[in-house]
Amino acid sequence: MLEFALKRAAWASFVMLAVITIVFMLVSQIGDPCAARLGANARPEQIAACHEQYGFDQPLTAQYGAYLGLSSCVRKSSPNYDGGEGHCGILQGDLGESMRMEQDVVEVILTRLPRSMLLGAMAMGFEVLLGVFIGIIAATRRNTWFDTGVMATAFVGISAPTFLSGLLFLYFFAFRLGWFPVGGYGNTPLEHIYSAILPAFTLAIIGAATYARIMRSEMVETLRADYVRTAKAKGLGPVAVIMKHGARNALLPIVTLMGLQLAILVSGAIITESIFAWPGVGRLAIESIHNLDAPIIMGVVIMVSFTVQFGNFLADVAVGALDPRVRVDQE
Amino acid sequence: MRSTRRIDRYGPLLAAGLGAAIIAYIAFFAPPEPQAPRWDGAGSTEPQHGGTFVFHHESVIRTFDPAIAYDELSSMGIRLLFDGLLDYDEETRLVPSLVEAMPTQSEDGKTFTFRLRRGVEFHCGGELTADDVLFTMERMLGPDTSSPGYVFYANITGVDEYRAGESAHIRGIRVVDDRTIEFALDEPDQTFLNAMAMPFAYPLPRSHYENPTVDVRTTACGTGPFTLDPDDWEHGVQAVFERNQNYWNAPLPYVDRMIYQENLTRDVATMRFRNGDLDAVHRFSPADYIFLRNAPAWQPYIDEHPKANLWGVGMNTQMAPFDNVHVRRAVAFVVDREAWKRQRSNRLMPTGQPLPRGFMGYREDLEGAHYTDLDRAREEMALAGHPVHRDGDRWVAEGLEDTEIEFWVGEGDTGRQYGEMAQADLAKIGLRISIKQVSFPVYLEESGKPGRVPLLLTGWNMDFPDPANFLDVLFNTSSISEQNSNNRTFYSNPIVDDLLDRARIEQDITARERMYVEAQELIVADAPWAFMWSDLTMEAWQPYVRGYHPSPVYSMDYRDLWLDLPKRRMQARHGTDLQPRHRLSGLLPFGGNL
Amino acid sequence: MGSRIGAFFFSDPRALRRFRKNRGATAGLALVVLVTLTAVVGPLLAPHSPEEQNLEELLHDNGLPIAPGENPAHPLGADTLGRDELSRLLHGGAVSMQVALFATALAVFIGLSIGIISGYFGGAVDMFAMRGVDILLSLPFLLIVIAIQRVVDRPELWTLFLLLGLLSWTTLARVTRAKTMQVRELEYVQAARALGMSRRRILLRHVLPNVMGPAIVIGTTLVAQMIIVESAMSFLGFGVQPPNASWGSMLREGQQYLSHAPRLVLYPGLLIMATVFGFNLLGEGLRDALDPKD
Repeated sequence: MLEFALKRAAWASFVMLAVITIVFMLVSQIGDPCAARLGANARPEQIAACHEQYGFDQPLTAQYGAYLGLSSCVRKSSPNYDGGEGHCGILQGDLGESMRMEQDVVEVILTRLPRSMLLGAMAMGFEVLLGVFIGIIAATRRNTWFDTGVMATAFVGISAPTFLSGLLFLYFFAFRLGWFPVGGYGNTPLEHIYSAILPAFTLAIIGAATYARIMRSEMVETLRADYVRTAKAKGLGPVAVIMKHGARNALLPIVTLMGLQLAILVSGAIITESIFAWPGVGRLAIESIHNLDAPIIMGVVIMVSFTVQFGNFLADVAVGALDPRVRVDQE
Repeated sequence: MRSTRRIDRYGPLLAAGLGAAIIAYIAFFAPPEPQAPRWDGAGSTEPQHGGTFVFHHESVIRTFDPAIAYDELSSMGIRLLFDGLLDYDEETRLVPSLVEAMPTQSEDGKTFTFRLRRGVEFHCGGELTADDVLFTMERMLGPDTSSPGYVFYANITGVDEYRAGESAHIRGIRVVDDRTIEFALDEPDQTFLNAMAMPFAYPLPRSHYENPTVDVRTTACGTGPFTLDPDDWEHGVQAVFERNQNYWNAPLPYVDRMIYQENLTRDVATMRFRNGDLDAVHRFSPADYIFLRNAPAWQPYIDEHPKANLWGVGMNTQMAPFDNVHVRRAVAFVVDREAWKRQRSNRLMPTGQPLPRGFMGYREDLEGAHYTDLDRAREEMALAGHPVHRDGDRWVAEGLEDTEIEFWVGEGDTGRQYGEMAQADLAKIGLRISIKQVSFPVYLEESGKPGRVPLLLTGWNMDFPDPANFLDVLFNTSSISEQNSNNRTFYSNPIVDDLLDRARIEQDITARERMYVEAQELIVADAPWAFMWSDLTMEAWQPYVRGYHPSPVYSMDYRDLWLDLPKRRMQARHGTDLQPRHRLSGLLPFGGNL
Repeated sequence: MGSRIGAFFFSDPRALRRFRKNRGATAGLALVVLVTLTAVVGPLLAPHSPEEQNLEELLHDNGLPIAPGENPAHPLGADTLGRDELSRLLHGGAVSMQVALFATALAVFIGLSIGIISGYFGGAVDMFAMRGVDILLSLPFLLIVIAIQRVVDRPELWTLFLLLGLLSWTTLARVTRAKTMQVRELEYVQAARALGMSRRRILLRHVLPNVMGPAIVIGTTLVAQMIIVESAMSFLGFGVQPPNASWGSMLREGQQYLSHAPRLVLYPGLLIMATVFGFNLLGEGLRDALDPKD
């Protein structure tokens, strides 16, 4: 078991290293962050000074080594910079400093993360509730007008791009009708939740439709099974049958799907967050790309990849522990 | 096993109909957009103390460290937290702020002496002394800070040695006594006082900014009308400023609390503003702009003024065909400023000269200023040896039939739209251009090198209100270098250079102004740019926001305003700040107003 | 659908029958055919050039474009630069469809090849390919696509579909690989191998037809996703670059005029939605037909 976990961990670290390398090379080509930071009135001396401060005047290999934390630090603004041995890289838990916000990347991401997670969690809650509810009803009323209508609506839901539905929701429900705050994040926990309802719902439309489809097909299959017929014949009420047999069977795919969606929780929803001015990771990412804030872009991508890798690792190890066959397969 | 009941067969239709009905209901019966301000003022005529003022910016605040900040967003906050030694009045004249009087200048124009005001307290304790001013300058110009501001102070004696680490102090700055400080310059320079009024030179207390345990990136300690507790700054969301009880310039400030919301997109901000949840807005989508510009109820509460900036089509004077002055003039006369203005919903003010309105040397009737005149443009093309004739449905310039010129624009929708409009305009004199849209850094880098970019959409925003900041930077030969030239058209005229160099040190204002007018006339005649427009900035605020006059120098400078709050509004603001309307009446047709 | 084409896509005639009976799938197919036709023929039908500006006549004094019906020559009004909206919609559809279809074709090709090869041969090839899939899957897709698009100095249409295609083959590769591994173990395939049938023949005759089903289904939904991704990127300002315009970039331009001219958002928005809806319906119908559970 331990061997399996170690192998799996080694593999995950390799993927992380590959991801970091790819992203580093990508971002180093993205354009001069100093020019972006200094704006239209930039003078040559200003740009050169900025390069020196962030270590962009160093060769790319030195920057890469320093970013990983394997060779000496090249960022003069880092507290660990001493012109020699001091390291300031990923291995030291340092993802650099934002070019745009004068803050540590880790700090920035940690401020934004809980906000995206709140939005993601609420969206997922809506999705599961709506999806499961619709799915069960559609399955029990299979091939009736209700089923067809609901599933057709679900399909329209999948097909609506978030930027369209989000814009319209914001405009009608927040601005015209005034039921919700117009975008933003609010100041108190209650306000955070209140402000998250519309964006979470926007996000949930697509997901809910997926859950509904899965729930429906699982339920349909289960309800046909012999033991359910028997249960019915024994006089078990329809609600009891659904709850006892149907819902339980459909739980597995639903939970799997939720697991897959976990990454969305941390990566934030770029478009929805942009439309609703939600100050989460997604908006941070897209703004950093606009501002060419290289350290933040790298930080976000690495954070997301890490979470995905870590999640997969945990899942694999858990499954491996429960089911020895998997371990054999992996060998 | 399909159901055969009729309801089941037509069900999907029914469901779709129902959905359409709901959507139609929302679209048609939702309350209309608010057309007027939600709250009026209470009607006081004298400035009132108290209240909370909420404003915003669409991006994220970078820092409140005056030595580092170089953007509108940060400077909006810095203007609340700090004061300068000098400030500007509403006529863009320099006036004393933390000094008792305007600094005295020596005969040769090389030495300036500042005498500090008595009894100015920093937020974190301690009185402002000449040593703090010295510390501020040495910190900002020091090699560890890498402030983008140092280019404005390079003329102070000894700055270069100090930056290179060859001396421990700047030779040219001398503390005479606790309240007197002296600056010596290498060369006389009339823009030095402008530089000393820039936020880079806003005095900071040595005790706070030299303290290694303080995180100067997230804290702020100044002399300004408001204070900032680091705990009240939730990054990416908002910063809350409290009234400085010990402000030296009492009775200012009037407002108890300022909430600076970051990261609000312009659509969201304007919707909030119209719902009454935001007290001032300053950037608009075209639709919102058109609404506010025309809604009668909002007219007393908006202000539109030209920004101190300049836009135009730059032509590389070293590259064909723009090495020919007549071709450049032809372009200057063919660009249709009025059409561009209309496409921008009238948000730009056409101009034909390098200096923005209101600057020393600007002349309404400047001789040779550019204007739009198609016939004249074609005459100039003929003079250039490229007569224009019609060929089918397009115009062709002789000798340039097969030349395609790259027109570089910055990124974004606007840049592209300008590019497309220029394409249509230049086709009228037979110039075929292709639009090259690149990211901003690439644009800056490439256009700063000689011989790279033949034609570009280019602009300049004021650093400080002095003609030197436009003419010297954009048209002096000294702004040309192998890389990162600010003179992106590589325009070089020795007579203009001489005028500009002399004007920069001239102490007599009338003589100085005359030189700038003369330089302007020479520049428009040489037409390195087709001078086109200055942007118009519109700002809007709630009726109860009083005493706010948009500053000609600082964007959104809210420090002196006061609030004439109606009682209901005060209650609504109590405690929390988001007050969605909860208009359940919206469920009723016509908003329940039937 | 002609029966010969049907036979190509459905190796099993019962699948074709199932597909024909599925009303939703037929509707989806009709929508898809309609949109594809528009994309092909649309640019020819456009009454004006999509790039021709008329700032004087087609913009009001305040900069708002004219509404439908104000000028009979421009039945759907103008866009924000005084260009004919109908012509732009027709051309924009072609651009959106081009990007989506080419990107999908590329993704399906890569996904199928890698899936079959790594599933059939296993070993180091398989290991290598699947690690690649892992790396790609752990990257945030939209963010990476946008970042790359930003790196490309002057993004053209082909860079966009190359980019989208190269980054979205992972799911298909995984499914194909699993299916191939199943097929490889089938008795008649084993037998063919034992009889000395060439590898190429086995792959083409036995493996490929078996993995085509899932590929078609995934490919169809992939088109829908590509349309959404392309329009989302354009919406954020990183998608199709001028002079090309797609429905997504039109929507972005129109967004700024939402309260005065909602049609500039609704026309392209609803067209995107209808297209995606069509492909999704078709994909679902194909899934039901090829892989019946009911």
